Amino acid sequence: MNLDSIIGTFLAESRELLQQMEDALLQIEQSPDDPELINAIFRAAHTIKGSSGLFGYDAIVAFTHVAESVLDRVRAGEVRFDSELIALMLQVGDHLGGLIDWLADGHDLADVSVETRATDAELITCLKRYLEEAPTAATAPQAAESDHTEARTASGETASHHWHLSLRFGADTLRSGMDPTSFLRYMATFGTVAHVEPVLEHLPALDKLDPEACYIGLELAFVSDADQATIDGTFEFVRDESSIEIIPPHSPLTAFASLLQLRQDEGDEQLQRLLRCGSLTEAEWLQLQTPAVVAESDTTSMSTFGSDDAKSDFPTLAAGNTSPASVATTDNAKAAKAGKEAQRGGGDSNLIRVDAAKLDQLINLVGELIIAGANTRMLAQRSGMLEMNESAETLSRLVEEVRDSALTLRMVQIGATFNRFQRVVRDVSKELGKDIVLQVSGGETELDKTVVEKIGDPLTHLVRNAMDHGIEPAEQRLANGKSAQGVVRLNAYHEAGGIVIEVSDDGGGLNPQKIMAKAVQRGLASEGQPLSDKEIFNLIFEPGFSTADQISNLSGRGVGMDVVKRNITALRGTVELDSKLGQGTCVRIRLPLTLAIIDGFLISVGQASYVVPLDMVEECIELPGKGLENQEFLDLRGDVLPFIRLRQLFADDSTPPRRENVVVVRYAGIRAGLVVDQLLGEFQTVIKPLGKVFAQVPALSGFTILGSGAVALILDIPGLLAQVTHNDNRAGLASSQLNQVNHLRSNAQ
Amino acid sequence: MSTSNPVAAANQMIRQQKDDQQRQYLTFRVGNEMYAVATRYVREILEFDQITHVPMMPSLVRGVINLRGAVVPIIDLAERFGQGKIAVGVRTCIVIIEIIDDDETHLLGALVDAVSAVTEIEVTSLRQAPAFGNRIRGEFIEDMARFDDHFITLLRMEQVLSVNELAALAGQQRSVSIPSSHH
Repeated sequence: MNLDSIIGTFLAESRELLQQMEDALLQIEQSPDDPELINAIFRAAHTIKGSSGLFGYDAIVAFTHVAESVLDRVRAGEVRFDSELIALMLQVGDHLGGLIDWLADGHDLADVSVETRATDAELITCLKRYLEEAPTAATAPQAAESDHTEARTASGETASHHWHLSLRFGADTLRSGMDPTSFLRYMATFGTVAHVEPVLEHLPALDKLDPEACYIGLELAFVSDADQATIDGTFEFVRDESSIEIIPPHSPLTAFASLLQLRQDEGDEQLQRLLRCGSLTEAEWLQLQTPAVVAESDTTSMSTFGSDDAKSDFPTLAAGNTSPASVATTDNAKAAKAGKEAQRGGGDSNLIRVDAAKLDQLINLVGELIIAGANTRMLAQRSGMLEMNESAETLSRLVEEVRDSALTLRMVQIGATFNRFQRVVRDVSKELGKDIVLQVSGGETELDKTVVEKIGDPLTHLVRNAMDHGIEPAEQRLANGKSAQGVVRLNAYHEAGGIVIEVSDDGGGLNPQKIMAKAVQRGLASEGQPLSDKEIFNLIFEPGFSTADQISNLSGRGVGMDVVKRNITALRGTVELDSKLGQGTCVRIRLPLTLAIIDGFLISVGQASYVVPLDMVEECIELPGKGLENQEFLDLRGDVLPFIRLRQLFADDSTPPRRENVVVVRYAGIRAGLVVDQLLGEFQTVIKPLGKVFAQVPALSGFTILGSGAVALILDIPGLLAQVTHNDNRAGLASSQLNQVNHLRSNAQ
Repeated sequence: MSTSNPVAAANQMIRQQKDDQQRQYLTFRVGNEMYAVATRYVREILEFDQITHVPMMPSLVRGVINLRGAVVPIIDLAERFGQGKIAVGVRTCIVIIEIIDDDETHLLGALVDAVSAVTEIEVTSLRQAPAFGNRIRGEFIEDMARFDDHFITLLRMEQVLSVNELAALAGQQRSVSIPSSHH
């Protein structure tokens, strides 16, 4: 077995778990008692501890163990998640992340820096505080429903508000036609099963297993107002052959002591189950250990508990499992749903982990397949053999399907990226002393993994910018009639074969006059230049607009909006900004869904072939023959359609054909025509990047290879359209010219 | 070495002599001058075939070709040396050069008038290039070598095909060639 690759998996998995933990921690701020979230956090820490132990990363095990113990107390309801503990746990996550990164860089844990060691010690000290704290003030989350928060009266009484049921079904239970789960269903009719712990120790080895026998047992935390007789009655039919113990709420500790005594053969695990059910707290257990309460306590279980025997956990972890599924919720219907969700969250068995490089290779191969297929198809057409042609057509249709499914493999939802910003917003709002909340929508929108990876930095910059410069201080917000809490929004949706990502805030907005003044000062615009507000706003993306006095240590970091724009342009995307003074700002990023393969539309000018992304093509028309020689726009059913003559733009000196065509393209709400010679139809376009030499060329966004093996150029429609709007940014002028055209035409008729 | 097909012969030589490459040079002609490039730069040699023209590029970038799926820019060496455009003839070749720049490997094609041979150049025959009087820019020249009674210029390919410089030239072209308006 290759240990390196296993360690790679461990590192990747740990990072994922830390991310899950962080997400849950950020969510738990809103609902501190949500048992699902608490379990998710616990599971993450627990699994990291377990798998670190497998690799002998003892430093991680030791550190995580302390955190896990605190989380265990949270789970038992002894400690509650307050903002302080959440902050501490976030730091714990960061510290673990740091250690994981350290390992990933190939270092030894023994060589970590002094600072890391100090952080480690400091966090452990903070965590230990939660372990020492007296548990009396704690509330059990499971008991949240029952309002009467009676403190324990006598010292011999337990704090739990629920019934505890300890069930060991007899071997003949199934044979007598009884089903243990039916009891759970029946109990739900007069109460709530708050927590279930399965007892599996009595399961024999597979070769000794009698499939008709029942080996299972259950430990239940049951919240109900029913009397003992009702609960007792539930088990009437199985009582004789099973061992049913029912402990009412607030029973004396001795009741649990005798229960432990009765289940002595199950040892420490039974105690753990009681703790997990919340029927017994850790403090109560400690009390129970003192000889005064129980004379004959099981010494072996006492000694192992507290060190939380890590070794016994490892076999389950090695098999890729998390801790035994524990379901704690308020009713049965919810319990089923939560179970499904927990399954999904905690490593769905229907998912497989694939090295991203393998996917990239697959997509490259599919790209080559498409090119080879196009060549075959061309040759088949040329051969004139009908059957050959049909076969080639079938082949290319299949190739297209393979392409689509290969590309979807690499599609990921943007939600995970968005959620990462919860942390950013939380930290930055603390840093700035502003109360800002992040609202996320459209997280299910999918795009190519390669794009997602590259969008993080620009988004971080925009979010920080919105918080720093966008959202006003609370006093100012209140004075302007807004709520004190600022809102930053992240939104995503699909539009015309691409994805739109919006970063918006409800802050002060941008002042066009100020920006114009600054742009003039920086020489980016000239005084009195007639620019629309939108054009003025977009000046802030120009290099040299961001200045030192404007950059705070926060959003600055030496990066300006021009870098954001450059990063996005490099992804073949565009960025624009909208703002209303006093109401907020919205930055809209448009990106292609994939950087690999697109549906294209093939056109030709002279000898050269060009590809236009098909989703940007609206329609094709024939260029009207007369009257347009010196014009740059035509009349498309009454609308002004500006157009570009590609022959002229590309300085192609070949003679234009008698009939030219216009491809009407649309992007980001702008429409224009491209005058070309021939329309060659749809084409599966494998995008080859421009490379460094051609990176600066305007109007081109990539290369592709035709069936003939020749290279064709992919047109950069956003770039071309930007040029059109630049040339004709005074729409008034164009429409007055159109009126003139209409006038001329009516005269001609 | 047969003179009837120097391209095939040179390709064969390049394949054979990958081991001891230090003093192996590919010699070729641009205009009336002979040049040489160390074989460690040379990936392969192609006979001239169709090139896809890329608009709005400076004239030294003749276009791109498809090299087994990779799109490779073709640089006219005569243009690069400021000697006008290479007129394509039967012996016109593309020398595929591999350059490592900023830790990235770039493939570029050098368009030359003709490829002649792969030869071994003795260290003793190397001469320092004169400070002036060269027909090409000084930084393009690695050395001069005396060979068969004439001088060959050994090229410094990182400079001749500097990706950064080519990109910058392409960028400059941008401002000139976009027709901003036709009024």
